[in-house]
Amino acid sequence: MNSASDSHEIYFESYSQRIWRHFMSDAFARNGLRVIIALFVIAALAPFLANSHAIVRVADGRVTFPIFPCLEPIEWRFLLYVPLAALVYCFRARFARSPGVCFALVIALVALIEVLLAVTHPVNDPTNDRDRPALFKLMPVIPYSPIESTPDAFSSPSRKHLCGTDSTGRDIASRMIHGARTSLSIGFVAQSISLLVGVTLGGLAGYYRGWFDIGVCRFIEIIDCFPTLLLILAVVGLFPSQNNMFYIMAVIGLTSWTGLARLVRGEFLRLGSQAFPQAARALGAGDFRIIIRHLLPNALGPILVSATFGVASAILLESSLSFLGFGMQAPTPSWGDTLSDARRYIDFAWWLAFFPGVAILITLVSYNFVGEGLRDAVDPRLKVK
Amino acid sequence: MTTYIFRRILLLVPTLFGITLLTFMLIRLSPGNAALLKGGGGQAGGRAMTAEVREQMIKLYGLDKPPLVAYADWIGRSVRLDLGESIVDHRAVTAKIGERLPLTISLAGSALILSYLIAIPLGIAAALKRGQIVDRTISFVVFVLYSIPTFAAALFLILLVAGGDYLNLLPMYGANSINAPEMGPGAWLWDRILHMILPVVCLTYASLASISRYARVSMLEALGQDYVRTARAKGLSERLVIFRHALRNALIPIITIFALELPALIGGAVIIEEIFSLPGMGQLMFQSIDSKDEPVIMGITVLAAIVTLISYLAADILYVVVDPRISYE
Repeated sequence: MNSASDSHEIYFESYSQRIWRHFMSDAFARNGLRVIIALFVIAALAPFLANSHAIVRVADGRVTFPIFPCLEPIEWRFLLYVPLAALVYCFRARFARSPGVCFALVIALVALIEVLLAVTHPVNDPTNDRDRPALFKLMPVIPYSPIESTPDAFSSPSRKHLCGTDSTGRDIASRMIHGARTSLSIGFVAQSISLLVGVTLGGLAGYYRGWFDIGVCRFIEIIDCFPTLLLILAVVGLFPSQNNMFYIMAVIGLTSWTGLARLVRGEFLRLGSQAFPQAARALGAGDFRIIIRHLLPNALGPILVSATFGVASAILLESSLSFLGFGMQAPTPSWGDTLSDARRYIDFAWWLAFFPGVAILITLVSYNFVGEGLRDAVDPRLKVK
Repeated sequence: MTTYIFRRILLLVPTLFGITLLTFMLIRLSPGNAALLKGGGGQAGGRAMTAEVREQMIKLYGLDKPPLVAYADWIGRSVRLDLGESIVDHRAVTAKIGERLPLTISLAGSALILSYLIAIPLGIAAALKRGQIVDRTISFVVFVLYSIPTFAAALFLILLVAGGDYLNLLPMYGANSINAPEMGPGAWLWDRILHMILPVVCLTYASLASISRYARVSMLEALGQDYVRTARAKGLSERLVIFRHALRNALIPIITIFALELPALIGGAVIIEEIFSLPGMGQLMFQSIDSKDEPVIMGITVLAAIVTLISYLAADILYVVVDPRISYE
């Protein structure tokens, strides 16, 4: 009796576990996710992978770390907040027991970091440690900074410059590594903005219906009538004064939410007419609770799929903008910017087009494979196998 | 059905209104204006213009009026089909658009037709060999193609086959060779075709993925229907089952998404036209935005918006026409 019930053990699998299992069983999706994680690690560690300053330098009887004073505040935040988050995660049991003390501790740490960052300024040191003699030095893998011009312009890929140099002698490998930050963060943040706008407007339209729905639908139709790239070009071209990274993120995010809004609206229309939101209402749940706790979780699968593809298209849009010369300002490394350079020297400098092209391709393929894997996991009917 | 179409057409009016108002405000709220840019006030390289002339220009084009008044003026003129003239070269907007349209339509049109001709058989083949190596290969290749940015592909194609160090088979840019005006009609056409090959290839490959995916899914859906089983049960050959019964039904959603792609015929492809220096609609829009040429931007916007809205409507109507089971009553 006992052994029989053991062998027929009821295995409970939650929705997210099932999606995860389906997702990880797809080799393309799994490897796509790995590549994306690797790209994020490269982007986070970019200053340590490609920099003209040594990580550790021993000279004149002193040990110095020349790389650290040159880090930007955002890089410090990356370096400090990721371990902090990991720490919170490791001590989550302790956190649950005494939340007050732990919160105070975390807030104190964040405040300390922010105050220190506000007080100190990054040193703008144009010298490099490549040729400076030292007893011992540990240079980054690519000992060139992305904005540093070296005397040898247009050198083809060699042992000195792995991916060659551009017209002003900047090292392409270094620009690729630092460009990963631009592309990945713009893709991520822009898609988060469009997720916020799209889910909110689409969800409210699908839930409340009526006039609000008609208004939102007209608005979506109006925005959709412009091809996305042209709309962004119009905004960036007409307001060119402040094209920094956050501006580009906001413009891409605020112009690409319509597809998501349509999707969420459709899902909410479908789910809203089913029995469970009515049951929740009968139990006394308010609109907010029904939307957040009942409808949204049920629509999460398709939203996630669409958001993943959205990140890919945001990255593509950013590089298209840079390619057309409307993207990030000149010294900031960006894949699209290098490609745009390549256009002028296409007859001889193939490496200028090849490396950024391949970098964009790898990123987009990975994101699209992850999106495809998620779609199959959320809706297994369409699966190839 | 008639009332449905009528209602939809009525709904087009407020949408068109919104689109033009949004565009107009975007242009007006942005810093600087066309007169300033043209007079060298905004960009380097422009001819210097006296303050007096600039004032005259601002008056002439109504750039000094409050945005809403200027918008009302524009509406008043455009309902009489007068889109005004370009601030940059004083030519009629309709003429400027008219000379660009044929190139863009032939470019985008051939890419559209070509991608459907390639993608539908691919999708159907994938559906028929579901899960087999053919299906997976098609899905993979099409998917990787979809992930290549058009501008990167265009650069590589130029590098490899046009004008670069490798093969020099095709012209690098432009819609025609320099000596095109002296050519005979046949030679001119051949010259144009040679110039169009690379742009069309670049526009075609990217849309293969979504179309073949649609074709595959709707073919799979059709193959799972009862009428296909019935057709098989009554002993029809597999060929008849697939081509007469499944395929016809599978094509329904594909016809309707075809209508949704029509706006590209007018809007053009900014990036491809930029890279290959093709004087099409996308390039015109790009240049007009760059010089804040308000009448031209508005003209293109309103034309593109009308075509887009009508294609959406056409898609919805086609849906009913090809599939009598659906109705909007």
